[in-house]
Amino acid sequence: MDSSAEHPRTENSARFFVALALCAAALAAGLLFLFASRASAEDNALQDAANRLAERVSSVPGLKGPLHLDWHADIKWTEGESERWQQAVIDAFDDRSLSFTQDPATPAPSLAVYAEETPAHVVLTAKFHLGERDEVRIVQVARALLPPAELPVTPVRLNRQLIFESSDRILDASSLWSTEGGGLALLFYKNFEVVAQRIDAKGAVQKEISLAAANLKPTRDPRGEMNPQGSFVSVQLLDKTCDFSWDSSKDVKCHADKPLPPGKSLWRPPTGLAAPCDESDWKLIIASSEPNARGVLQVVPDGAALGSDSSVLSEFPGPVLNTSGEANLNGALVVVRNLRTGNYEVYKISLACGD
Amino acid sequence: MRSIKSLWLVAIRLALAALIGSSLLAAPPHYGGTLRVKLRAASVSLDPREWTPGSLSMAENEKVAALVYDRLVTLDDYGKFQPALAMEWTHDASFKNWQFKLRPGARFSDGSPLTTAHAATALQSTLGKNLEVSATDTSVNIHALHPAPDLLEQLASGRNFIFRAQLDGTLIGTGPFFVAETTAATPSETNPAAIKPAKIRLQANENCWAGRPFVDFIEVTLGEPPLRQLMDLQIGKADIVELAPDLVRKGRQEGLRIWNSAPLTLVALRFDDSLASPAADQLREALWLALDRDTMANVLLQRQAQPAAALLPQWLTGYALLFESPMSLERARELRASLPEGEPGAAQALRLHVDAPGDLFKLMGERVAVNARQANLQVQIASPGNANGLSSALSASADGLRLFAWRYDSLSPHAALDAMLRQMPDGTEVPAAASDPEQLYLQERRLLEERRILPLVFLPDYVGIRSGVHNWNATPWGDWRLADVWLESEDSSLAKSSVATPRENSTVRTPGAKP
Repeated sequence: MDSSAEHPRTENSARFFVALALCAAALAAGLLFLFASRASAEDNALQDAANRLAERVSSVPGLKGPLHLDWHADIKWTEGESERWQQAVIDAFDDRSLSFTQDPATPAPSLAVYAEETPAHVVLTAKFHLGERDEVRIVQVARALLPPAELPVTPVRLNRQLIFESSDRILDASSLWSTEGGGLALLFYKNFEVVAQRIDAKGAVQKEISLAAANLKPTRDPRGEMNPQGSFVSVQLLDKTCDFSWDSSKDVKCHADKPLPPGKSLWRPPTGLAAPCDESDWKLIIASSEPNARGVLQVVPDGAALGSDSSVLSEFPGPVLNTSGEANLNGALVVVRNLRTGNYEVYKISLACGD
Repeated sequence: MRSIKSLWLVAIRLALAALIGSSLLAAPPHYGGTLRVKLRAASVSLDPREWTPGSLSMAENEKVAALVYDRLVTLDDYGKFQPALAMEWTHDASFKNWQFKLRPGARFSDGSPLTTAHAATALQSTLGKNLEVSATDTSVNIHALHPAPDLLEQLASGRNFIFRAQLDGTLIGTGPFFVAETTAATPSETNPAAIKPAKIRLQANENCWAGRPFVDFIEVTLGEPPLRQLMDLQIGKADIVELAPDLVRKGRQEGLRIWNSAPLTLVALRFDDSLASPAADQLREALWLALDRDTMANVLLQRQAQPAAALLPQWLTGYALLFESPMSLERARELRASLPEGEPGAAQALRLHVDAPGDLFKLMGERVAVNARQANLQVQIASPGNANGLSSALSASADGLRLFAWRYDSLSPHAALDAMLRQMPDGTEVPAAASDPEQLYLQERRLLEERRILPLVFLPDYVGIRSGVHNWNATPWGDWRLADVWLESEDSSLAKSSVATPRENSTVRTPGAKP
């Protein structure tokens, strides 16, 4: 082999990967910014509830700090979720000169605070003894206003990153990192209508195209896959295919699919992934689709059977709804419903070599 | 740590292997089939205007009605209100004026369009008198006489369905099913002494705005005794059955798939109004202290219930854990000793009427009598009263004590307490300000301190589910969501190789029949 001929190819390849990495970094930074601003508003709702409770307690005449905090969180919450609320309560009381002491030996009155979830609210209750009587103060905040709670997810040997979430149902997600501007193409089922969205690297919606032209009947089992090719997109629905261009939102063409021969499927085959260390091919298998169970995604060597010892498992915070791969097999997108928040989430996953 | 991780991976792999073996791996939903549901109630009413708030029968009615009617909004599992027949809604700063825009294109199961006038008429007949409902061309408006920050909770629960009365008086809805056929209970042909239970056959609404349900039919069999239901589930003659709490343990031991709700039923005692003498306060306090709720929940109800110290459950209010019901026989005996001998409960036995239906509640009544005796109080079980209703249990005014079961039917704690108190003989109303959780807590505390109602236990609903039933995703507050349930195909291999699609050519009967 002519080594002089190989050199420029390697350089091009390196440039491509550098560009790809920069695009991915820009996308990640943009999405983080987007999430940060949203999380800020949601964190405010949490802190506001804690502030209101502290305000009500501090206005009780005769109550003086320091206090012992006797913290009780909803048993359904994770430790992280409990700590987040506890810290908000501590901060709120600190701001009102009712600080808590950490030293159990310090003589101080006890303030019990309960944080409990009801169907629509989180209820914060403070109970303390003053003189001869028990005092109770209660505030509540709508759960819909609160930041999503975190679930502990068991780490396995897959690299993964949450890159998008939405309260609208996401049917499919495709990476547009290889195209100019990067970003994501997303297929939603919003209010019983299929909608395609293109979001840029900062997470802002660039284009939204309704597939009302498909004249779909509402369904309890919405399914769809999108296959972007440059600015053109083909969307596979249950028995129809729709084609459109991001540049011409009014020109959506849909046609009914011909019946498939037995054994053939409309849907894409299992998503493939390549291991960067030895370029071995792997495929993703969704192992369960019950709506109220955590999803387990299994990555098996191509050709291996499900349940194989050589497979890699990753648990997600809810059912895995769809997967789609990048053309170069470097990564894949996984659409998941988070059972804790009800939001639909898109994760980017890739295989890592070693443990 | 590493070994725990390895164990976890091994466990997951074993589970996956088991899934492969059972051929259920990520199977696509299957359309078709008949879901067989068995309920304890001998009859159901599909007219929400007739339902008695808090009654056990209302819960059964609501289960069937939820298949036929929709609501304006629903509450999801994540605390978010979701559009149903209302696409969007707004309210003013005072929470007194609400406006709901209806979903365009929603139709009743006979194909006629849903209008704002239909929705307003239905809601006016089910919402309380403090809420005035009107319709414009584009919206349903609700004006509350007092601030109603909990209006969405109310609309997402209870009897607040949207329906339309037809010329013959039957009601029709926009829901995922319609009533195709009803069969009254009849004597069995083979054994005239036996009764063939009533049945309701519901058929899928092909044009439901939220999508066609997965199953073609739901066959609801009414009036099946609990043990019979359990047996039918075991031998594959039923897909979904209600399980009595005393059968849950047996079901679990036999490996049945059992789901339970949050505690939805309160079992409690209520003193009759006639007990109004000064000594009656002592009597009530003594009985409150004598009740052994832990034994009732853990022994009598085999750990399938929770001891209750509040009128509203923890899952609904978030503050019920503040209430306590300490048992103190010693203090109860002291109070008993100070009772005048002529008082009911002292030398004269206090009559306990068990107004809730079923042997279980009778046993609880007997347990109350035993607890009372331990504190030297005389309680005697009276002959059975009205076996169906709560309202009679709460409003009757015979001497003594009543054991009743109260079913929560609202997602609004304020509305739930208000409904309970309205059924009291004096028809107390919870003040509007009690929509604030602290005010509601104070109101409930005051009621509990009066000791006129003594909570005993909270009971969840238990449901037995056949293994071939998929997508069971009921809410903790007891909405079964049967439109989303699908049945494993009899030929699951065939189902897996084909694309699941709704049946387009199902025969549609005339909708709107009323049982």
